[in-house]
Amino acid sequence: MTALQELLYKIADDQLIIGHRNSEWTGFGPLLEEDIAFSSMAQDKVGQSYALYQMLNSLGEPPPDTVAFMREASLFRNCQLVELPNGEYDFSLIRHFLFDTAEALRFEMLTQSSHIPLAELSKKIRGELRYHTLHANTWIRQLGSATEESITRLQHSLEYALPYALGIFEPSPYEDELIDARIFAGEQALYLRWQEVVEEVLRPTQLSLPAWGSLTPRLGGRQGRHTEHLAHLLEEMSEVFRIDPAAEW
Amino acid sequence: MKSDPIKSLDPRVGRLPQTDNPTKPPLDQFSTFEVFVQPAPGKPFRHEGPVHAPGLEMAYVLAKEAFTRRFTCSSLFVADTHDVHVFAPDEQSPPMHDMADKAATFTTFEIFQLPRRGKQAVQTGAIEATSPQEALALAHRQCTTTPMPYAFWAMDRRAIRFTSPEEQDFWQTLPDKKFRDAAAYKGGEKLQRFLDTPR
Repeated sequence: MTALQELLYKIADDQLIIGHRNSEWTGFGPLLEEDIAFSSMAQDKVGQSYALYQMLNSLGEPPPDTVAFMREASLFRNCQLVELPNGEYDFSLIRHFLFDTAEALRFEMLTQSSHIPLAELSKKIRGELRYHTLHANTWIRQLGSATEESITRLQHSLEYALPYALGIFEPSPYEDELIDARIFAGEQALYLRWQEVVEEVLRPTQLSLPAWGSLTPRLGGRQGRHTEHLAHLLEEMSEVFRIDPAAEW
Repeated sequence: MKSDPIKSLDPRVGRLPQTDNPTKPPLDQFSTFEVFVQPAPGKPFRHEGPVHAPGLEMAYVLAKEAFTRRFTCSSLFVADTHDVHVFAPDEQSPPMHDMADKAATFTTFEIFQLPRRGKQAVQTGAIEATSPQEALALAHRQCTTTPMPYAFWAMDRRAIRFTSPEEQDFWQTLPDKKFRDAAAYKGGEKLQRFLDTPR
């Protein structure tokens, strides 16, 4: 696998898995308007993964449906954060905030990518990502300063999710190559920008961040080492497709 | 937990968190905010309906997907329902306002007209006035439409959450989202082909 393919796979797999997870809220959201918004954004993320799988297909990889539905968990390059079960809405919102902040910054960096199709896609979906982060930031600021229960719940979920969130930035074996070829400025650069934005959004709330240095990142996802939850998710997601992989939809 | 006689075939149902807490007192309902959508650049904004939200910014965020996830949109704004002032000429006497107050400061009000009951209110322009009542009285007096609209709406611009210039790209990919339109699936054609296939 080339450096570019590895980069595209990890981004696409993140988008697909978080999109599928977030879509599990459809019909169960805490209020009608939020149910619609969260489902729409989940749809956007699956759409973004589709665009990236198409790009991989043009580089010689199998078609999007095959890579999405026929791979085993150990071949997925997503970070472990996105595969964790939804739990309660406080966790889903915190994950949405931590993940989407990184995702929006990553695509912002990729608008400068030397791989032109990737730069163009990043510009095209800028508005979608801008809305996703506005949605996340607004909820976090609202509930992070609302009631004792909302603050305690978000704080608890934040502390649980942070080590997994650091797994987003697990370095690739191709970091230097990607940076030298100006395809992507690298996970470390992304991580530093992410820290700044996370701190800035949380500042007006009553939520507190632990010292960054005290956290142990949950790594392994980028190398195909996952929690037990991913295999279950894939089984459920691909259940219908696998009945007849050649069916025309 | 008591045994549940109905077991859902939807695997998500079994995973839902247990939240039955009978001792927890219910919180207040959210209030409502009115949503106005501009379908294309240069077109007037139209009133689309209300959203429930805990505040103006949340209302904007929720309105975006509740009202602009399918059809073309170039801009969106929301205002608290209480900040939308209404005057229906056939049913109310003209709004009272104190024209003598020279010290009053002027602000800009967005003006909408509701042509008939049950129709959508449509933006007709903006008026400088010292109060919503004055804005409504001016809108009524300046109106030359026949028949007279059923109602006039006025909103102080300062109470509105507008779409900022950098947020205009929210709807950039909307035309690509054909999957949100039933027509894109051509279900009928596929079914016909299937039925026509000799077996």
